Amino acid sequence: MDHLVFEIGLAIALIAAAGLISTKLRFSVIPFYILIGMAVGPHAMELWHFDFRFIESAPFIDFMGRIGVLFLLFYLGLEFSVGRLIKSGRSIAVGGTIYIGINFTLGLALGFLTGFPIAETLVIAGITTISSSAIAAKVLVDLKRTANAETEMILGIIMFEDVFLAVYISILSGLVLSDSSSLGGVLLSALIALGFMLAVIIIGRKAVPLLNRIFRIRSNEVFGLVIFGSLFLVAGFSETIHVAEAIGALLVGLVLAETEHAKRIEHLIVPFRDFFGALFFFSFGLSIDPLSLGGNAIWLALAAVILTLIGNIWAGMLAGRTASLSPKASANIGLTIVARGEFSIIMANLGKEGGLMDIVQPFAAIYVLILAIMGPLLTKQSKPIFNMLNKVFKFKDPRLRKEERNSV
Amino acid sequence: MDIRESILPGIGIKYRIDAESGDRIVIIIHDDGRRELYHFDYEDLEQSISMTTLNDQEARLVASIIGGMTYKPKQLESVEMTFDDFIIEWYRVEPHYASVGKSIGELDVRQNSGATVIAIVEKKGNKYVNPGPEVIISEDATVVVVGERDQQKRFKQILMNGSG
Repeated sequence: MDHLVFEIGLAIALIAAAGLISTKLRFSVIPFYILIGMAVGPHAMELWHFDFRFIESAPFIDFMGRIGVLFLLFYLGLEFSVGRLIKSGRSIAVGGTIYIGINFTLGLALGFLTGFPIAETLVIAGITTISSSAIAAKVLVDLKRTANAETEMILGIIMFEDVFLAVYISILSGLVLSDSSSLGGVLLSALIALGFMLAVIIIGRKAVPLLNRIFRIRSNEVFGLVIFGSLFLVAGFSETIHVAEAIGALLVGLVLAETEHAKRIEHLIVPFRDFFGALFFFSFGLSIDPLSLGGNAIWLALAAVILTLIGNIWAGMLAGRTASLSPKASANIGLTIVARGEFSIIMANLGKEGGLMDIVQPFAAIYVLILAIMGPLLTKQSKPIFNMLNKVFKFKDPRLRKEERNSV
Repeated sequence: MDIRESILPGIGIKYRIDAESGDRIVIIIHDDGRRELYHFDYEDLEQSISMTTLNDQEARLVASIIGGMTYKPKQLESVEMTFDDFIIEWYRVEPHYASVGKSIGELDVRQNSGATVIAIVEKKGNKYVNPGPEVIISEDATVVVVGERDQQKRFKQILMNGSG
């Protein structure tokens, strides 16, 4: 324990180095954080003072990673607004439903056909359904595609996925984390979870004027303490009633988003989100032994990657058609949100907490690594990919068809 | 001209502008203050052919240039600022105006039009704030005048024809 600070310092330095390398290579940082975590760990060596096994500090790094999840979801709740979702329009609701429907069904099929029990199947479907909003939004800005016609649809689908994620994690955490083994007991804990969420949201909405008053604090220091206090208390309490702490954090974010202090909280939280978020990816990598990544996990992950690619392109084409976008723009939709990241890992961790089969973690690791690296590359190459697909499928342009009809 | 605004959650605001010329411009105002201007292909309105990134300050400056506030294109005769009935007008003295070479007193501006000259900026850079009757109207100078609308109209006449 005497070298704890030194070990944590070493961990952060490694993460920083991974971040530097990734920006040099102009890649998304997420896979690099995970890889550096996998490279070190209990199987690694000890060089004089530098203990790359992180045995002493592992529980602390793990805890910081947990805090990272809290901040990630708290921020997600803070950014989310019901009004914006309603305003975003019908076509986006349809597109989001199509996307989730197709990818979730494929995920369930994968789980069932490879003979997993129901709980594992549900976790696997969750891992393969939800895109990484962090990677997708960054890729859009980096590739200068924000001006394109399909961008609204892409961001809308991401927003939809966030809603799905919240509901799904809460139901799943009721199923997976409940102590009871009987179906009735499981349903009861899932109901308690949903009831708790609704209660927090309803009470929170009613309490907005009160919260506005409470948070009117001039001192940044005290303001920050009050926010962090509420976040950790609610998230921690959620866990005691079998609601994933991530969902508790999301709820706090949702409630505070309605107050007049939302912007100030956002500014306060972002540096914490980034720092602890990086530790979260690192600690996930740390929990994976690369030597154990053999056999079934790899095949399962490869199958899942192929299914995700098919599901994404298919869902993107359909969603684009409903919004009468051109086939080219529609192809961009699926290829932009194919990256998987933070939310898939949160799902996998949920499976670990619930004591599900060990294969889920390495499967998620390989799957996320492949898609976090491939996703941005596919987005970049969307034009040649579309041309290739177009040769095979001969997509019809809904806009051209209209013109043909008019000319007749 | 058709302007459409949409919100890009987590990124900023997007404006799609279809101009009369057939050009499509998309302006993205990022949450961090950056502005991106995209220009699209005529044939394929989904393909952006060029783009520009400006920071917040540059964007404001470019906006004022396009709006004709800092640099006045020749075709733009005057920029108006109104408060109640009073209007402040900027007039550019064209070389063929009859008033060139005459003094404010000679033109008897206040008697003939009711408007008041509050400043003259000559092309050489001489500035007269609240110029007296002896100040000469010179070629290419900018004359700033305050008055009501019809007084402004009469002043314009004097400036062009040398009398009201």
